[in-house]
Amino acid sequence: MKMEEKFEPKIVAFLCKWCSSAGSDLAGVSRLKYPPNVVPITVMCSGSVSPNYIFSAFKKGADGVLVSGCHPGDCHYMKGNYYARRRITLVKELLDFIGIEPQRFHMSWVSAAEGAKFTEIISDFVKELEPLGPQNKLRSNL
Amino acid sequence: MVTLEELKDNCRQILKEGKVKYIIGYKRKNGQYMTVPAFLDRIEEVDHLVWDPSCIYNLVRYLRDEKMRKEKEKEPDTRPVGVIVKGCDSRAVNILIQENYITRDDVYIIGVSCEKSGIVDEKKLTKKFAGKDIRKLDFAGNGKIQVTCGTKNSVVPAEEILADRCIECTIPTPIVFDVLFGEKTDREVPDPFKTIKELESFDTTRKWEFWKEEMDKCIRCYACRSVCPMCYCDECVADSISLAVKPDTTAEEKAHKIRWVEKSPVISENFNYHLIRAMHLAGRCVDCGECDRVCPVDIPLRYLNRKMEKESLDHFGYTAGMEPEKPTLVSCFREDDPEEFIL
Amino acid sequence: MKKRIGYFICHCGINIAGTVDVKRVSEDLASYPGIIHSEDYVYMCSDPGQSRMIEAIKEKKLDKVVIACCSPTLHETTFRNAARTAGINSFQCEIANVREQCSWVHKDKVKATEKAIKISKSVIERARFNESLEPISIPVTRRALVIGGGISGIQSALDLANSGYEVVLVERSPSIGGHMIQLSETFPTLDCSQCIMTPKMVEVSKHPKIKLLTYSEVQDISGYVGNFKVKILKKPTFVDPDKCTLCDECTTVCPVAVPNEFDLGLTRRRAIYIPFPQAIPATYTLDINHCPGLVPIACGKCADVCEPKAIDYDMKPEILEEEVGSIIVSTGFDLYGKDEMAEYGYGTYEDVLDGLQFERLCSASGPTMGKILRPSDHKEPKEVVFIQCVGSRDPEQHCAYCSKICCMYTAKHAMLYKHHVHDGQAYVFYIDIRSGGKGYEEFVQRAVEEDGVVYLRGKVSKIFEENGKIRVWGVDTLSGKDIEIKADMVVLAMAIRPSKGADELAKKLKIAMDKDGFLSEAHPKLRPVESVTSGMFLAGAAQAPKDIPEAVAQASGAAVKAVNILSQEKLYHAPTVAAVNSTLCTGCGMCVDVCPYEAVSLAEGKANVNEVLCEGCGTCMATCLRAAASVKNVTPQQVHNMIIASLEG
Repeated sequence: MKMEEKFEPKIVAFLCKWCSSAGSDLAGVSRLKYPPNVVPITVMCSGSVSPNYIFSAFKKGADGVLVSGCHPGDCHYMKGNYYARRRITLVKELLDFIGIEPQRFHMSWVSAAEGAKFTEIISDFVKELEPLGPQNKLRSNL
Repeated sequence: MVTLEELKDNCRQILKEGKVKYIIGYKRKNGQYMTVPAFLDRIEEVDHLVWDPSCIYNLVRYLRDEKMRKEKEKEPDTRPVGVIVKGCDSRAVNILIQENYITRDDVYIIGVSCEKSGIVDEKKLTKKFAGKDIRKLDFAGNGKIQVTCGTKNSVVPAEEILADRCIECTIPTPIVFDVLFGEKTDREVPDPFKTIKELESFDTTRKWEFWKEEMDKCIRCYACRSVCPMCYCDECVADSISLAVKPDTTAEEKAHKIRWVEKSPVISENFNYHLIRAMHLAGRCVDCGECDRVCPVDIPLRYLNRKMEKESLDHFGYTAGMEPEKPTLVSCFREDDPEEFIL
Repeated sequence: MKKRIGYFICHCGINIAGTVDVKRVSEDLASYPGIIHSEDYVYMCSDPGQSRMIEAIKEKKLDKVVIACCSPTLHETTFRNAARTAGINSFQCEIANVREQCSWVHKDKVKATEKAIKISKSVIERARFNESLEPISIPVTRRALVIGGGISGIQSALDLANSGYEVVLVERSPSIGGHMIQLSETFPTLDCSQCIMTPKMVEVSKHPKIKLLTYSEVQDISGYVGNFKVKILKKPTFVDPDKCTLCDECTTVCPVAVPNEFDLGLTRRRAIYIPFPQAIPATYTLDINHCPGLVPIACGKCADVCEPKAIDYDMKPEILEEEVGSIIVSTGFDLYGKDEMAEYGYGTYEDVLDGLQFERLCSASGPTMGKILRPSDHKEPKEVVFIQCVGSRDPEQHCAYCSKICCMYTAKHAMLYKHHVHDGQAYVFYIDIRSGGKGYEEFVQRAVEEDGVVYLRGKVSKIFEENGKIRVWGVDTLSGKDIEIKADMVVLAMAIRPSKGADELAKKLKIAMDKDGFLSEAHPKLRPVESVTSGMFLAGAAQAPKDIPEAVAQASGAAVKAVNILSQEKLYHAPTVAAVNSTLCTGCGMCVDVCPYEAVSLAEGKANVNEVLCEGCGTCMATCLRAAASVKNVTPQQVHNMIIASLEG
C-alpha cells in the first residue's frame, strides 16, 4: 500500500518591494530556513494589492495567502500600507464570514530588517495550514 | 406623516415652474397594490403618484440611465431630475455625488421620511394575508401599516411585514434633500446588526455550509448588479474585459486577458463574483436591499453587504453616504485604524 | 507577433546550484510557452555570462529575457544594461529571485527546485506583458525659491547662491533675520547673535545671485519638481528703498505708536518704522494697518518731512511670478502666545515674560540697552524664576513634544541674568534637563556651578502677583518640599510651534504636516530634509524645534538637495508609473484621494496621471473599482498571470 503523501500547502505571498521583499532577502542572506511552500510575488507596495489578487489566488488553488508590507509609518510611499490595512481588514472579515478558515489568510508587517520575522511567519503559516488540508472551497471547479 | 397631497402639490409645482426635467416616483400598475417606478413629466401624471409602504424601489438607480441619456444628447436639457428618495436612497444619491458621478445640481431631491415605519416585504405580507385580496397599503403612523384587503382595513404593527432591512434601519429620514416630507426621526433599533452577528457566531464549517448552499443557487443573472444604484460602471470588472483591445493586440495577449471571474455559474465563480461585489460595495452600500429583493433564487445578498457595513462602522466608524464631501471608506485611513489581525 | 522569451538560470557557483537543480529548471522552462531559449550558466553576472545573454538575444531574436539569479536589488541594473546593449529595451529584462528567496532558505533540493520553477514561471508571466519604456525626462528651471528669511532660509539661500544658482528669497516681514536677530547671546559660546547674524544678512543683500523679496508672501504655486511656477505678493512698503536715506525724520513726526514686534511689545514703534537698525533691506516700512491714512488730508506728515521724497502713498501691491526648479521651506517658529497659555499670568502680569522678551531685555540693542530691568517699574529684579516646559511635554493640555531648545536657552538666560545682576538669584523649574549637543552639558553645569543658578525639579502650580512681587508656588520633587518664591520677574520657556500661517503655506505647497503642524519630512531617518513633495525641501524649525547649529546644518543640507536637482539639465524619472484607461474611468476620484503624491487629478471627468509626480506605488490601482488604473509593468493583468503561474507551475 502506498503511503499517503504528506500535504504540502501552497502559499502565495504578496510582498512589497521595499520592506517585506527586502526582509525575505535578508532571511536568505542570513541563511535562515523556512519551508519552500511559499511563492513570493513582489509588488511595489502592499497598497497595490487588490482584493481581486487575493480571491484569485484562492480560486487558482492557493491554500493560504499572505499580504505583507512595511510597518505603519515606514511605507516607502508613506501611506500605501495604511490603505492596504483598511482594505485587507475588509477582505479578512469577508473571507471569515463566508466560512474560509481564518488561518488561510494573513497580513503582516515585515521590515527590511526582519528576515527572522519573515521566516517565522512562513513557518507558522505552513504549520497552521497543514492540519486544514487543501483549500477546496474557493478553488475553481471549472 | 407624509401627506401625499402635499407631495403631489410640490411635484406639480416644480413641473409647472419647469424646475425639473421630470420626476422619478412611484405609481400603481393596473390595480395592483405594489407600486412600480414612474417617470412623470407632465403635471397631470402627478395624479397617479403614490407614496405608501409598497414603494420598495430605490429610484436612484434610474439616475444612471438619465446620465447616459444626457451624455448622448448634443444639447442636453441641463435641468435637474426630480427623484423621490427614502432615507437609504438619499444616501445613495450622496454616494453618487461623492464619486462625482452626478453633481448635486443634477438632482432635485424630494425626500420622504419612513419615520417609524418602512417598506413592506411582499413575501412577508402575502404570507400574513394569505388568500386575502390585498388591495392597498397605507402608512398608519406610529409604526403601523394599514392593509386593505377587499373592503376591509386591518392595521398591523409595521415590524410584522416590513422588509428586513427596514427593521434594521436606523436612518429613516433622508440625509440630503431639496424638500422633505414627513418628520425627521431617529429610529432606535436594539441591534441593527443582529442577523449578521448571528451568522458570525456560526463556526467555520456552518458558515461555509450556509454560503455554499446559497452560492450554489446563483444563476449569474446579474439582476443584483443591474438593480444596484452603485453598480454604474459601463464595464464590470467581473465581466473580464478590462484588457483594452488595440489594433496591435495579439491573439496571445487576448488569450492571456485578465479573467477575475469566469462566466459559468459554478460555485467558485459565483463566490468570486459575489466577493468582488461585496468588496466593491464596502463603504458604498446603503442597504436599500434591492439586490436581495430582485434575486430570483433568494440568495440573501444583503448579508454580505451588511457584513461590510458592520465592519466599516466597527473598525473605521464609517457609514456610507453620510458625508459626500469626504473621501470614501477605502480612499482614506486613520493612522490608528485597528490592526490586531496583522502579524 | 508571438513573444520570444529567453530564460537564463545562474548557478551562482553552488549558491543556487547547491540547492536548486538548475539543469532541471532550465530543461523544464525550455518547453514553457514563449520560451525560445533556456540555459543555465555558472555565473550569469560575470562578463562571459552577460555575453551569453547578449548573444542569445541577438542570435535568436529574443525580445524578452528573464534571468533567474540573486535578488533584483543586486543585479537588475547589470542585466538590464546588458539587455540594452543587446538591442532590446531594458524593461524587457526581468529578474527571478531564486537565491535569497529560494536556494538560500531551503534545504530540500527537490522542493527548492520546484519552487525555483514556479518563481521563474511567474516572473516570465510578468515579463510577457512588460512594455518597453524609456525614462521620463523633465527639463529643469535652474533657480530656487527659499521661503522664510530667518537663519535657515538665509543659510540655504547663501549656499545655493554660492553654488552658482539664482535664488529668490521671500520673507513676509519687512526685514530678514528671523528670530535669531532678536537674540542677545547664543549658547553655548555666548557669542553675540547680532554680531554673527548681520554679516550673513548683508551678504544676502549684496549677493548678485539672490533676489530678495521682503514684505512678500507666496500666494500660489503650481507645477512640479524642476518646474515650479510661483506667484508672490509683494506688499507695498510705501517707501522707496533707493531714495530713503535712513534719516529717521519720518518716525519723529508720525503720530501713531504701536507695540514693536521686534521687541515683542516691550517698546513701541511708529506706523512708519524700520524694524531694527540693522534691518535688511535697510529701509522704512509704512504699516498700513496703523497709518491714519494714505492721503495727505488724513495725515501725510511723514511725506512732508521726507526730504528725498522716498515716501510714495500710491505704491500698489504687486504680484510677481517666478519660475524655479526647487523650493526650500524655512518658515521657522513662533512661541506659544497668551491665547494658548493662560496659566502663569502671561499677558496679565507685566513682569511675566516669555523667552524671546527676555532675550530683548538682555540685548545691548534692546529696550533697556542691555540692562535687565522689570518692565513694570524699571527696577533691577533680584530674584528671577525661570520655568521650563511651559506648554511643552504636556500632552493633556498643550503640546506632547519637547521644544528641544528651552533647556539650553533657560540655562543661558539664568547665566546672562547672573552676569548682569551679580547679587541676584536665578531659579529654574524643570522636568529634566536635556543638554545633548557639543558643549551643552558643560554649559548647563557652568550655570549651576559658576553662576549658582538653583535648579528645582518640579512643576509650578500657581503664579500670582502680590505687593509688587510675583509669587511662585511650586514643588521640588527631589526634596518633596513645597517651594514658594517671591520673585521680581518670571520667565517662561514657552513651547515652540510652527510659525503662524505655515499651515496655509503647506497646503499651497502640498507638503504634509505632522499632527502638531510642523512640516513632515519624507523619511524620519534617511530623508530628513526632503519634504514628501519631490523638489521641495525643509530647513529649520519649520520641520521641528531646533537650535541654531541644527537649523544651519539642515539648511545647508536642504541647499545641497536642491542643488541635486538644479545641477541637472534634465531630470529622469522611472517610467513605471500609473496609467488610466479612460474608457473604464468613471471619474470617481478615489485614486485622487489615495495618491500619496497628488499625482492624479481629474480633468473632464477622467483621472489623469502626472507621470512626473507618480512614483508608481499602485495604491490607485488597488483602490480603483473599475480596474481603470494600473501601473506600467505591474498591471493587474500581469499579477493575475503571475498568481496562476506560481500556483500551477
